[in-house]
Amino acid sequence: MKADLEVRLIHDGRHWVICYRTLQVRGQTLPELDQNLAKCLRERGDFPAASQVTVFMGFDFETLPTWLRQYAYHYFNRYVLLRL
Amino acid sequence: MATTEDWWAVWLGLIMFFAGLASIWGWNLVGWMTKTGTWVWGDFAWSKALKVSSYQGWHPLLSLLVTYLVFTALTCLGAAAMKLDLKRFFLGWTFLFMLTWVVWIIGHEAHFKASVNQFDQYGLSWGLSLGGGFSYMLALAVGLIIGNFFKGFAEFLKEAAKPEWFIKTAIVYLGIKIGLMSIEAAGFTFELAITGIAATFVAYLLVWPIVYALSRRVFRLSREAAAVLSSGISICGVSAAIATAGAIRARPVVPVMVSMLIVIFAMIELVVLPGFYTAVAPNQPIVNGAAMGMTVKTDGADAAAGAILDELMRANAEVNLGVVWQEGWILTSSIITKIWIDMFIGVWAFLLALVWVYKVERQPGQSKVGVMEIWHRFPKFVLGYLVAWFVYMAIATLGPDLNEAATSGAEAVEGPMRKMMFMLTFVSIGVITDFSKLRGMGKLALLYAIALFAIIAPLAYGVAWIFHHGMMPPTA
Repeated sequence: MKADLEVRLIHDGRHWVICYRTLQVRGQTLPELDQNLAKCLRERGDFPAASQVTVFMGFDFETLPTWLRQYAYHYFNRYVLLRL
Repeated sequence: MATTEDWWAVWLGLIMFFAGLASIWGWNLVGWMTKTGTWVWGDFAWSKALKVSSYQGWHPLLSLLVTYLVFTALTCLGAAAMKLDLKRFFLGWTFLFMLTWVVWIIGHEAHFKASVNQFDQYGLSWGLSLGGGFSYMLALAVGLIIGNFFKGFAEFLKEAAKPEWFIKTAIVYLGIKIGLMSIEAAGFTFELAITGIAATFVAYLLVWPIVYALSRRVFRLSREAAAVLSSGISICGVSAAIATAGAIRARPVVPVMVSMLIVIFAMIELVVLPGFYTAVAPNQPIVNGAAMGMTVKTDGADAAAGAILDELMRANAEVNLGVVWQEGWILTSSIITKIWIDMFIGVWAFLLALVWVYKVERQPGQSKVGVMEIWHRFPKFVLGYLVAWFVYMAIATLGPDLNEAATSGAEAVEGPMRKMMFMLTFVSIGVITDFSKLRGMGKLALLYAIALFAIIAPLAYGVAWIFHHGMMPPTA
């Protein structure tokens, strides 16, 4: 699936955080994060109004402690369809 | 493929696999490997404590030095590719390597290791007859002492103490051993592989729902904690906990906490279960091995426990049952069971992800689950293990005249190299296990203990008995 936007996803212990260049969006839950991202994109005007944007959120495995990485090296990635 | 530990287990495994296989063309590329020999206290000599695999005329210490250099080069290459701190890795690895060999040599002192039938050979009046398993237990004890009482030193070693990497490499080497064993007993190996499916059924479809229900209804855990804990405890430990947590998009703190529990409890199982199974069912070697594969979580702990069980049961059978079983079959039954469980974690995680996204969270059309998640979670070291196994089986079937040449090259890899990786695993597991991490996890730890010892262990043993009872390893 081709994404319109690819972002890095981490968790800081309290919030899910996505980082993309200078953009940083937070949410306590993933649905809240998605809403906040849609709102942020609408405000920035990077995409046409009322368009659909596919966002790829790649979880940065470095969020997990080093000792844990030997057991797995993939957490999850998300494709999210946002309606602006 | 160049940056993950799973793949580096495959590369380390296959490099030695191909080096060993070169014996078919008459090249001995692995004969430099050192192996341990049995020695007697008061009569120590390097030539007794260490042996050279097959390079005639080499001094054992030169063999040990070359072993160090080759494996240091390979592991440092892997560490650099995995972006570890290379200087810290190199120093930690060097200490770990030296510690492992010192412990291994001590473990081969005749009073500890020699069986009663060998007392005359070594001039002993008494001995503990613990077999090669004593070295493993000693390695574990040394690792645990460092991990729990010398935490500064443990921290220094941690960059190199990678039990999962070492054990996965050892499992690829084990594929060679199973290939060779298949040459002698193809039907038995096939039966072991097929009955391993039972373990998968039990882990995923029977134990998981029971533990999930217990977690939710009795311990009132959240859905995400219950699912992650259920997978960790009933499937394949830490990797299952992470896979499940990823599948249901749990906050990372959940798998981290559950993983701490899994690692510490796996250590307890590793210490307790081999002796327990040997004591209560000394005449059920394959049942015990399979039950171990279903009960002990994490590949490293399972393979380690299987290796101890193999040594303990064979030593016990030789002394008390008067039968000498071939080395490796009990360990194999334990690992084959585990590998089946490992292989399906990707499918299970994918199914859980579908259930979570479309049923529990009910966000159809917004967040999608890709089938590639299955491949992301597939344990790649299994590929190396299967390649090694099937190539040796193919040689046996298609070119029986090559058997002898192929076997001579494989011996150094499936024997001393595999066992060295096991020893490194034991020391490393001990080093990274810090029992003080259990503090503050009372409720989760209680649930884990109840589920493990009251549900999983008995169920696993029952299923192992149904599918394997009566199966005996070939005699030596």
